[in-house]
Amino acid sequence: MLQETPILTKNIRSPGYDGSLEAYQKAGGHKALEKALKSMTPETVIEAVKESGLRGRGGAGFPTGMKWGFMPKNTGRPSYLVCNADEAEPGTFKDHFLINRDPHLFLEGLIIGSYAIGCHHAYVYIRGRSQAPAARLQTAIDNLYKAKLLGKAILGTGFDLDITIHRGAGAYICGEETALLESLEGKRGQPRVKPPFPATHGFNACPTSVNNVESLANVPIILNMGPDAFKKLGSTNNSGTRLVGISGHIKNPGIYEVEMGANLKSIIYDLGGGMRDGKQIKVVIPGGTSSNPLKPEEIDIAYDFDAVAKAGSMLGTCSLIVLDEDTDIVDLAYRTIVFFNHESCGQCTPCREGTFWLKNLVRDFHDNLGDQGKIDRIRRVAATMFGTSLCALGDAAAGPMKAFVEKYPEEFRKHFI
Amino acid sequence: MVGFNDAVMKEVQGLFKRYPKKQHALLPILHLVMRENQGCVPEGWEDYVAELCETSLNHIRGVITFYDMIRKEPTGKFHIRVCTCVPCGMCGGDQIKNHIIKKLAIHPGHTTPDGLFSLEEVQCLAACDKAPLIQVNGNNPEKVTEESIDIWIQEMRQKG
Repeated sequence: MLQETPILTKNIRSPGYDGSLEAYQKAGGHKALEKALKSMTPETVIEAVKESGLRGRGGAGFPTGMKWGFMPKNTGRPSYLVCNADEAEPGTFKDHFLINRDPHLFLEGLIIGSYAIGCHHAYVYIRGRSQAPAARLQTAIDNLYKAKLLGKAILGTGFDLDITIHRGAGAYICGEETALLESLEGKRGQPRVKPPFPATHGFNACPTSVNNVESLANVPIILNMGPDAFKKLGSTNNSGTRLVGISGHIKNPGIYEVEMGANLKSIIYDLGGGMRDGKQIKVVIPGGTSSNPLKPEEIDIAYDFDAVAKAGSMLGTCSLIVLDEDTDIVDLAYRTIVFFNHESCGQCTPCREGTFWLKNLVRDFHDNLGDQGKIDRIRRVAATMFGTSLCALGDAAAGPMKAFVEKYPEEFRKHFI
Repeated sequence: MVGFNDAVMKEVQGLFKRYPKKQHALLPILHLVMRENQGCVPEGWEDYVAELCETSLNHIRGVITFYDMIRKEPTGKFHIRVCTCVPCGMCGGDQIKNHIIKKLAIHPGHTTPDGLFSLEEVQCLAACDKAPLIQVNGNNPEKVTEESIDIWIQEMRQKG
């Protein structure tokens, strides 16, 4: 029977914990910050994060320590750390869980990260519709200023840091790091051409690192337990734990923290409690709507970056959407493509036109007007979209559509004219 | 009247201090405009914000039309966002949307004649474990049923 491994959620799971600064410090918070600022150099902090093997929790899984290591030193320009709290992928709610329940954990990671890359003004980019979490976060930041853990000369060291919350305004694409930086600069959130990468030309054309909330929340934990102990959690090349958000037709939806590499089927049945009303699973979406669907016979795998990729999907944001036997796959595909068509920023032709065509084609099936030619056309349009846009949104839209028609052809056939 | 009062102007000056350039503060300033104007950016404010942020009117228009949340029409007193994206949609989000449409007799994008309710269909409210969700104004998204919506609308109508 799979159990939770409460590392990030240790405080949250303890009874009576309210996420305030006093509660956080009482539970042993800010020890890592003190250690980093008083006894470590920025280089040794980066080294420790590299050593731990922490991979970014925002979806792509890029090693956090390496990202920080790419930041050029002594450029004469300021460096910036931007925390990505946009979290707009349907099915994903782990970052908001952390912000609402234990904001000081990732804020501590944000301060340590800023120290490591020499940043003196960090930004938290939070989604526009999340007014209540943003207000809660602002209170947490105000309390840090009052406790002299932000501002000038933090903990009596020479390190200064300000944190500003920047609210988005309802655009999924602003979760992509360069689009996020455009949005932070007061522009339309359209992804940039890479290279140059944000590490050299990010916010205001200065060296910038963009990190996810959950990635930053892991940083104080790594410094507290030591990179070697952290590495022992999880599977090879996938160290640490993940916050898994389970939604859909599941008995106990919610956030569960498991070691990376835990069995996917066990997560669904042991933690999620299986399906509602004793029904059977029809489809599992393992990493948010951008990831390819898995059939019930494909879910007996380790839930980490590499194993899920090997199964033909991706771990993404660890957002499990589990749907039961009554699910209409065409309806699911239609909702998915409506989302991507709505959120395509319109900059690159294959994505802007491709998501529009795919939406129209899938809608034909939704209206029982499908035929074999349209299935072939879905595959052809999807093939044109792969790798032809500046960011990953085009691929994220095309991948699931191709997978739906290939894995569930009989479902589409039911909607033939 | 177009233009911020002194109290809001102070907030704007505070925002400018937190960014390297004035233009960077555009989104927070547009949020302030909407806060002061029933959730929208009315006619005339685009020029004002352009001047304030030292950027062009075209730039402002480009930004306003890009972001979903930036509206040209005022919202009702209670702005209802209903999610019909994947997890909510698969858990009855459409039924909730249709129920609200019937109950308030308005389609998404519209406001009731009494100015009390406005409706918007959105993609994901980031609390998918509680699907199906609605969000009212800036509050946390909540799990709803057709019955809970009936009760809530009734209460809000009585309160006015």
